[in-house]
Amino acid sequence: MMGTLTTLAYGTFRETVRDRLFYLVGIFGFIMLASTAVLSPLTIGAQSKIMVDVGLAAMAAFGLLVVVLVGSNMIRKEMDKGTIVTILARPVGRRQYLIGKFLGLNLTLACMLALMGGLFSLVLLVAPGTFSPAYLGAIYMALLEMVVINAVVVLFSTCVSAPLAAVATLGVFLIGHLSQSIRDFGDMQGTPLQQKIFAGLYYLVPNLEVFNIRGAVVHGDPIALAQFGIATVYCLGYAALLVILAGAVFRGKGLR
Amino acid sequence: MQQVVNIPPRTAPDPRTETPKALGGSEVQHTPAGVPALEVVDLTRDFRSGFRRKRQRGIEGISFSVPPGIVFALLGHNGAGKTTTINCILDLVHSGGGRVRIFGREHTEPSARAAVGYLPERPYFFEHLSGRELLRFSAGLLHMDRARQAKEIPEILATVGLEEAADQRLRKYSKGMLQRIGLGQALLGDPDLLILDEPMSGLDPVGRRQVRELLQGLRDRGKTIIFSSHIVPDIEMLADEVAILNRGRLVAHHPLADLNRSTLYEVQAVIPSNREPQVLEGYTLTRHGGAVHIQADGVEELNGLLTLGAERRWKILGVGTRRSGLEELFMQTRDQGEAKS
Repeated sequence: MMGTLTTLAYGTFRETVRDRLFYLVGIFGFIMLASTAVLSPLTIGAQSKIMVDVGLAAMAAFGLLVVVLVGSNMIRKEMDKGTIVTILARPVGRRQYLIGKFLGLNLTLACMLALMGGLFSLVLLVAPGTFSPAYLGAIYMALLEMVVINAVVVLFSTCVSAPLAAVATLGVFLIGHLSQSIRDFGDMQGTPLQQKIFAGLYYLVPNLEVFNIRGAVVHGDPIALAQFGIATVYCLGYAALLVILAGAVFRGKGLR
Repeated sequence: MQQVVNIPPRTAPDPRTETPKALGGSEVQHTPAGVPALEVVDLTRDFRSGFRRKRQRGIEGISFSVPPGIVFALLGHNGAGKTTTINCILDLVHSGGGRVRIFGREHTEPSARAAVGYLPERPYFFEHLSGRELLRFSAGLLHMDRARQAKEIPEILATVGLEEAADQRLRKYSKGMLQRIGLGQALLGDPDLLILDEPMSGLDPVGRRQVRELLQGLRDRGKTIIFSSHIVPDIEMLADEVAILNRGRLVAHHPLADLNRSTLYEVQAVIPSNREPQVLEGYTLTRHGGAVHIQADGVEELNGLLTLGAERRWKILGVGTRRSGLEELFMQTRDQGEAKS
């Protein structure tokens, strides 16, 4: 079981690393981080805040871009091209296959965020000299968020075409960050039916604000350790649920 | 419903309980004694197509059994249901009904496929990998340890003639090279059962011959091989048994030896006129230049004719197939299918 998952995950990781798109996004991310170093002198008195804010936001944005672009194609491309059949003709279960692909993309994301985070930390240490370990916490939270989004894209890519999976995943991302606001809006303004719909949406879509500590980190607000624990459990639970659901959908799928 | 022409298959040559020494490996794989390598019972598969998702029958009521150690061919024209049958066997598409067992185990269990090597029709692999990396990836899925990989992968690359291109990315491989690396990944782990979908398609004459010789070698080592093809001579050269599919139904299942009995052969010989008397009465003769072409109906008559030629010192120029028994049967089943539709 573990051998199969490791093989599939490493295979996916290697594919994304050799994917030119991944390199482009990575390079672009690094350029963005570098540009913050150039722009920050223009913002007198708030240099470090601007750099941290833009840097963390850029990492989250490029992480999302990789998940959506690579994740939506990851399984669908194999189904369309037929590479999947030589894998599933082996003693590999369909759920194993999905988990392997999911883990592989997570590995890619972790490596990418680690690289970008390393560069980000280096820039902060060298330029204004205001590095804080809380920044690493924000990067960790960004990774957890990407893991959930990865699970969402895996689920969608087993059901619909790659472009549709990408659009639907972006929709979940947006709603996921606005879910509390949507619910509050429904409670305040809506009819009872609307309230129920908004409440349903709130529970159905992952609450991605759980992972958002960027504002607090930028302003130097304290962050309780428990928040990391809750976010980790929430991420793992939600992602596991979605991957199990994706496995159930994928089990009934004809591959040729 | 078409009538299935079904001659009871002959006993499999050497049904075995264990395979010979693994290709490049030291492990001996055990297969249960007396259990068919593959058992397909009443396999059915429907498709939905078009805007209204109309149901169409892909294959219907396919049943056959493949004893261990034989070469079994699925013959049919394009669209007859060969690939669908293979995809159902490997659970790549879900059958609408029926049962499939691989060495006695349900085909839906992933572990049942541990003993299977598969080459898809039009093989397509990860283009970002090299041939060697693809084999390593496949070996990982088989839980093969590094020592065995290090021994087996170079041997397989040599077997399929891709040693020099082993470190080239697959995107640079030609169609024939992809077919060969596909065959290589199917051979990995020394599987007891090989399922090959059109293994000779896309290969030049040299490649076809190499694959044929490779499969013959595997057959001699006691491997069970199931392959699909629409090319009759390939099947005649390789298979022990053949099942003919037409419009999604199995319409005939024969041992090749039985079909060869009804093959029409032709012996080309130079016969001195004083040695060409009444002995050839009853044979169909034609003359081309200085040679006489004599037709023999079936293997036994051919053997008789060759013995006669040796006794009377004919100069035999060649022996050919005038009309193959399998080809005749194939055409016959196709015509029957068209007449009934």
